[in-house]
Amino acid sequence: MSAAQHKRPRIGVAGLGETGPVAADPRSIPEMVLHAVEAALDDAKLSFDAVDAVVTASVDLFDGLTASNVAVTEVVGAVMKPETRIAADGQCAFAHAACQIWAGAYKTVLVVAHGKPSMVPHQALTAWAMDPIHVQPLGVDFLVCAGLVAQALAGRDADAVSRWARTAAARRCAAMRRGVAGACTSDEVLASPAVATPLTEQMCAPLADAACAVVLRRLDEGDETDTRVLIQGVGHDLDVHSLGDRDLTSWNGLGRAYERACAQADVSTPSAFGVFEPACLYPHEEDLFTDAIGLDAAHLRESGNHNAALFSPEGGLFAGATPVAAGLSRVIASVRRLREDPQLERALAHGTWGPAGQGQAVSILEATT
Amino acid sequence: MRPVAIIGTGQTQHARCRDDLSQPELVREACLAALHDADVPPSDVDAVLISNMELFEGRAMPELWVGEAAFAARKPCMKVATGGTSGTSGCIAGFHQVASGLFDVVLVVGFEKHSEGHTQTGMALTDPFWDRAVASGALGNFALSVSQYMAERGVTEQHAAEVAVKARRNASNNPHAHLQMPDLTTDAVLSSRMLAHPLRLLDMCPQSDGACAIVIACETEARRRCARPAWVKAAVTRHDQPYLGDLGNRLAEMRTLREAARVAYEKAGIQQPLRDLDVAEIYEPVTYAELAWYEALGFCTDGDAGRLIEEGVTTMQGELPVNPSGGVLSTNPVGASGVIRVAEAALQIHGRGGERQVDGVRTALATGYGVYAWADAIILGEALQ
Repeated sequence: MSAAQHKRPRIGVAGLGETGPVAADPRSIPEMVLHAVEAALDDAKLSFDAVDAVVTASVDLFDGLTASNVAVTEVVGAVMKPETRIAADGQCAFAHAACQIWAGAYKTVLVVAHGKPSMVPHQALTAWAMDPIHVQPLGVDFLVCAGLVAQALAGRDADAVSRWARTAAARRCAAMRRGVAGACTSDEVLASPAVATPLTEQMCAPLADAACAVVLRRLDEGDETDTRVLIQGVGHDLDVHSLGDRDLTSWNGLGRAYERACAQADVSTPSAFGVFEPACLYPHEEDLFTDAIGLDAAHLRESGNHNAALFSPEGGLFAGATPVAAGLSRVIASVRRLREDPQLERALAHGTWGPAGQGQAVSILEATT
Repeated sequence: MRPVAIIGTGQTQHARCRDDLSQPELVREACLAALHDADVPPSDVDAVLISNMELFEGRAMPELWVGEAAFAARKPCMKVATGGTSGTSGCIAGFHQVASGLFDVVLVVGFEKHSEGHTQTGMALTDPFWDRAVASGALGNFALSVSQYMAERGVTEQHAAEVAVKARRNASNNPHAHLQMPDLTTDAVLSSRMLAHPLRLLDMCPQSDGACAIVIACETEARRRCARPAWVKAAVTRHDQPYLGDLGNRLAEMRTLREAARVAYEKAGIQQPLRDLDVAEIYEPVTYAELAWYEALGFCTDGDAGRLIEEGVTTMQGELPVNPSGGVLSTNPVGASGVIRVAEAALQIHGRGGERQVDGVRTALATGYGVYAWADAIILGEALQ
């Protein structure tokens, strides 16, 4: 039986838990993760015993630990259980957990991601993910890469920088309720110190500590459940590494990941989504996101069309950007929104990792009727 | 579960220092060999999984850099890293991704280039509150748990030396193996430098540069492309909490491996491992661990491992050859070591083991071991049912 013919079981998103982003969480990583895991299990009305397997996401260099999942093995309940650690964005862990259930290996899988950038010079560490022969010696880190991308985009759109400033200000305002960002005007965004021209300090989503946990559960015939959200598709992609080998003005990898997920979910147009939760660290990445999935701004409620889709309604990563956990936080935001708003049918959650969006992942989530 | 098989394997020449190749080139060499073995063009690979322990090279997310070399560019790719079990965990992740129906052909590649980093520093980056100051690195940990194991189970330095000799002699039949010591004797092992009592230099695994890849396929692709696929009969993982002081009987008990093996045997219909398995590729980072694993894997009862090695039961001519490849004791690029175990087990099913081929292999066991207490058990078979 080929992949195209394979009929997969239904997977519900049964539980959500998160610490919420804070600038510097005084707790240890295990304490943060335990908080998120217990919240997710409470939300799913399940105990640790009901979890068959765990998929964690963490990056050793960011945590300063070899096999960094050792720090969380106990608090995620993985003692004498299967645990898989994905060293990439939490969306990849989410996608892999879905694979495990679709494979028939497990019924209930806990997905956990964490990041604690307050304890490390995070941006400097990202330089260690660059090609060590040709690029890292030049002092290039992920922020520098983002600046290069923004420059390339600004070079073909004279209004881009002022538009990004307005976007950043709007996201910061929207994020005020939940996150660590402070409100500011677009003028203040433009006047803030340059960090990687043309990006200014206030254009960058603020780094934050956070842990996220999601419980996935196969829905079998006859299962009693109040799960309201199902996974309909997942997709991920790794683009080439060298910046010189890529068109920096497009997220082609996201386009491919999106197509893969849409094929599984039988979705053919962005207008099928009621909410988008992109993992954009900078406002120019929102342009890349919408271009990659073919999303017309007219489809967004921000355009004034009140029947159109929501886009980062809580400010997206401007509430606090947590490396590794960011993508899973977008899943949680999407599911929460689908649960709260019965008018919404479908959400697209996004994650990205690596320089200039080299790694891309999306999940398509759908409310049950 | 959708049936899944390994249809190709490939590995580099492993060595103390492969300074002729960069990390991506090392990865490319293994991937090309595996794809060639499977007769699969890179364009037919649907997704890629990479396993590696990034702090051993002092990198972050190395899959970003080496992904293209693994033919992962513009494809789904993620990295799996669980310490020593990274390679077996990567393989199991590949099994699940194909079994899920998402992909038909998945390439898994593990690599490590210890010569470009400082492994002991990487190993020392354990829990900063409790373990880092007192129990970091492989040697100290093993010395403690091996001493306990010897006292409880009666194995001797001579038994361990016989394991060392078996491994290195087997490795001399494996052209990819790092250590080539065909004339090694137990006397030489017993007179090698004491590192941390009771462990001597030749009791320990080396640090190797190398990469290994396998090609995993769904049933349709496996039958179309491979004359003798190695079907995945069982793949089981068990993790444990990592604190030395909280796992009193770590090596002697090794409850994760016991439980993983028990579940895997049940799934694969293995009732008597010594009788029902034809070959085993087990992850033995130290000679004494191989003896302890004989017991944990049910090859013998507790306390009987010494007899097994004395009587040659696990040699190439014995009832159950263990590690025809030479094992981790002869080749150890950590991120690849687990993939090598799985690849070598598959190779035996494929019947492509060359000088290290065991006759008539129908069922093979591969295991992974990591973070002092984590275990994977994988059983491959020549028949799907």
